[in-house]
Amino acid sequence: MHARDLYSYYGKSPVLQGVSFDLAPGEFLSVLGRNGVGKTTLLKTIMGLTDRCAGALAFGDSDLLSLSTPQRSRLGIGYIPQGREIIPQFTVRENILMGTFARTDGRREIPEYLFEMFPILGDFISRRGGDLSGGQQQQLAIARALAMDPKILILDEPTEGIQPNIVKQIEQAIIRLNREHGLGIILVEQNVPFAREASDRFLVLDKGRVVMSGRSNELTDSIVEEHLTF
Amino acid sequence: MDVVFNQLFAGLSMASILLIIALGLAIIYGTMGVINLAHGEFVMLGAYATWALQSFAGLGVLAALPLVFAAVAAVGWVIEKLMVQRLYHRPLDTILATWGIGIILQQAVRLSVGAESRFVKGPELLSGNTEIGALVMSNYRLFVIAFSIFVLVGSWMLMTRTEFGTKLRAVIQNRGISECYGIESKRIYSITFAYGAGLAGIAGALITPLFSTIPTMGTGLVVDAFLVVIVGGLGSLIGAASASVLIGEATALLSAVMNDTLGRIAVLAGIIILIRFRPRGLFPSDTRN
Repeated sequence: MHARDLYSYYGKSPVLQGVSFDLAPGEFLSVLGRNGVGKTTLLKTIMGLTDRCAGALAFGDSDLLSLSTPQRSRLGIGYIPQGREIIPQFTVRENILMGTFARTDGRREIPEYLFEMFPILGDFISRRGGDLSGGQQQQLAIARALAMDPKILILDEPTEGIQPNIVKQIEQAIIRLNREHGLGIILVEQNVPFAREASDRFLVLDKGRVVMSGRSNELTDSIVEEHLTF
Repeated sequence: MDVVFNQLFAGLSMASILLIIALGLAIIYGTMGVINLAHGEFVMLGAYATWALQSFAGLGVLAALPLVFAAVAAVGWVIEKLMVQRLYHRPLDTILATWGIGIILQQAVRLSVGAESRFVKGPELLSGNTEIGALVMSNYRLFVIAFSIFVLVGSWMLMTRTEFGTKLRAVIQNRGISECYGIESKRIYSITFAYGAGLAGIAGALITPLFSTIPTMGTGLVVDAFLVVIVGGLGSLIGAASASVLIGEATALLSAVMNDTLGRIAVLAGIIILIRFRPRGLFPSDTRN
């Protein structure tokens, strides 16, 4: 995925202002920054959920900005939004099956490894999504994205507000998906130690612009001090 | 006592027609939040299509049903594409726009077919009556009641047992995330609107042997269908079913006890009181936010 000079608007106000980044297949990119600097907007822009965009955004050979949101998803971009947004009235099974609607081969089965990765989803398969705890809903949201057999996952603060024992599980799952399944990952994260441990490269946003980027081992404490602490 | 049973049957017969009309309204509203004021004219189009098929092609009401469904659904699909789809961000304007479409459709029929009433023969097969004691039930009305139950069950299966239904329910609950998982919400809306219009067409076809077919016939029916949707709870299939029986029966019984006008007033007063205590209807659905 390549972004060049990307602008994204809500109404008339540009939330992203000239963002550029590159992500090679199978690479892990963390997007860092304080609240309200445009991290979530960057992911929404990739999915086509903002009002208007300018600049260039490519995924493989496809020009994303010319495609609708459903078309983008069918290219294999799995989006796990902030607040999870699972369908509360759907059962766990229906929520996961929903992910398969973005498949291009028309298959409608749930991959077995999802239940090995998140055993709780197998136990609660017939419960309504809205009845699960926050952490379980987050696992469900990740499973839903994986059911589409994506090439890349984009995750918006997947461990925010989740009980600590599940945070560890989710972090390990994300690392495993990247290392073992070769999935490309863009992760919006507040947790700097996890971003440093998991990702290949990082991007720091401030006021809609990229103020710093580099390899994860270059993510020094002074950068954290300058751009990420309040 | 016989009068009561016969009125109960008349009420059930009315309720079955109301149910088919109200189902279309409820599904369209529940899915896309559009209050479709052209719905009565879809009923009228269905009736005229049935009349045309019988007069020019010699088709009976029963044989016409699938054709009428397809034709009125196609009209609904075109209207959704041309107009309603552009107004999803302005729900209040869709009320005005669909009202305008209704007027255009009514005038178009008046200019092309004429304002005088048309008559459609009921099917020979269902011409007799079934009598149980003093209760006389026309076979055709019995068929309409059975058919409305079939439509209700069919719609419910469509919503809950098919992939289209799953996609539809996903879009109703969260349109944004549904699109992020490959669901073309615009296509879902178009199909849903067409389906609702097709149901109205079927209702129009079914009432042709019972009512005279005139350009304004949809207006009165759609008012009752709106009452059904409001009493039943917006977007609820079960609500639409029970409210149509309630309103159909109340109208029939009160009209028999008093007279048509007073009965009507009593029903409307009853609904106002009901809405005062249950503003979201009998079976409010919590799916739309």
